[in-house]
Amino acid sequence: MPRETFQKELDRLVEDVVGLGREVESCLETMVEALQAQDVEIAKREIGVDSRFKERGTEIDEECMVLQARQAPVARDLRLIYTVQVVTNHLVRSGTLCEHICHAVAETAEADRDPDLAATLSEMARAANGLFREGLDIFEQRDIDRARDLEAADDKVDLLYSEAMNLIVNPAKEGGGSPEWRTRAALMVHYLERIADHGVDIGGRTVFLVTGERMESAMRQYRERRVESDED
Amino acid sequence: MSEVFGERSDISKDQEGQASTVPKASTLGMKIEDLSAYYGSFKAVTDVSMAIRPNKVTALIGPSGCGKSTFIRCLNRMHEVIPVAYAEGCVKLGDQDIYAKGTDPVTIRRRIGMVFQKPNPFSKSIYENVAWGARINGYKGDMDELVERSLKRAALWDEVKDKLKKSGFDLSGGQQQRLVIARTLAVEPEVILMDEPASALDPVSTQKIEDTMAELKERYTVVIVTHNMQQAARISDYTGFFYIEHMNDPGQLWEFDETDKIFSSPERKETEDYVTGRFG
Repeated sequence: MPRETFQKELDRLVEDVVGLGREVESCLETMVEALQAQDVEIAKREIGVDSRFKERGTEIDEECMVLQARQAPVARDLRLIYTVQVVTNHLVRSGTLCEHICHAVAETAEADRDPDLAATLSEMARAANGLFREGLDIFEQRDIDRARDLEAADDKVDLLYSEAMNLIVNPAKEGGGSPEWRTRAALMVHYLERIADHGVDIGGRTVFLVTGERMESAMRQYRERRVESDED
Repeated sequence: MSEVFGERSDISKDQEGQASTVPKASTLGMKIEDLSAYYGSFKAVTDVSMAIRPNKVTALIGPSGCGKSTFIRCLNRMHEVIPVAYAEGCVKLGDQDIYAKGTDPVTIRRRIGMVFQKPNPFSKSIYENVAWGARINGYKGDMDELVERSLKRAALWDEVKDKLKKSGFDLSGGQQQRLVIARTLAVEPEVILMDEPASALDPVSTQKIEDTMAELKERYTVVIVTHNMQQAARISDYTGFFYIEHMNDPGQLWEFDETDKIFSSPERKETEDYVTGRFG
């Protein structure tokens, strides 16, 4: 096939991105474990990963720039490089948020906690982690049919977000946890919601990569098709 | 009236066939319907339909031998110059069918000018190269002014204004190609067809031709055949991809769309494989 060298460079680029994604995913799993167990030692394992992820992200960005300069990519090659840059940004940001959560867990280990809120946070962390992994899988396998389900999964995260915020704003008179912990919990809730969004966006960008269609437009068509088939 | 069939307001019927110097109020587009081109019994291009928008650059791309050059030559009746070559179908300039009975092909070729791959100036002075076409078309206006204006539009004036009496052959390849463009412009065409106009030129000259085209589309409709896909991406508004599906089949227009679409997310796999350099 012509442009073999270029194709190899693109394949390597995708490998690099997926590799970075899997590292972030592993970091997220540790975060979920730390959050569930409120374990300082587990949380501390991931403190410091952020700078490594950022460095990797910069390297991938540079690779993309060189490929654009040297190979003048168009059509699917251009979409791939563009998608790689956007996905890399989502991965690095997710890694940063993960580290923030681990910091919060480590720093509030001794604080009084609301068990309901703690349970909601854990559930939200599992859901956000699941969405991130799903987005990354979709990107790696180009399995855009699965991208259609991402928004529904994200709705669940949004619901947990509202539930958690309600517990934070209206704490029980007894057992509502310390104000410091509730403040940290509010931040963690926000970070988790962002991680879930990054997962959804990674899947959405994959739809663009494969079809050239923006996720929003693909989702709209999907919903309309569903309405039509419901009417049948 | 559609955008494609804009009415030309500045040429009256008795002026047909004569060079006009009246600034154009509007530019005509072209419409091609079911055009097929033959060399004897061999069908080179089949059933092409497309609209060429006025004041836009339309690029035609595709692998060698897929009929791009044959097709573009059908657009000003140059194809039939080759013995046994002929075309079927309808090609309209504005509302006028250029293949209608009684239509003078010479008039059509004046209104739809053509620039070829290799610059082909006449063995005359730079001035005469530009003035010649207008003169034989009976142009009676200020010739100096016409020559200057045409050379300016072809972005060559500054480089040749002090040596207009020198031979056209004294110019570089890139300058010669712009001289040929000026010669084409001097007879005030509606449409300019270009068949790989920069493929024999160095990168700097190529860039000048590309810049010239960006200006030309302000006043003319431009169609260009190019093998340089980045050139098509840089300069054109619309792109047509010609393709031969099976060996010995005629070429066909496989995909036609806005250039942005063709080079970012074309509809058909073969188009994407071609523009990304995976074949061809």
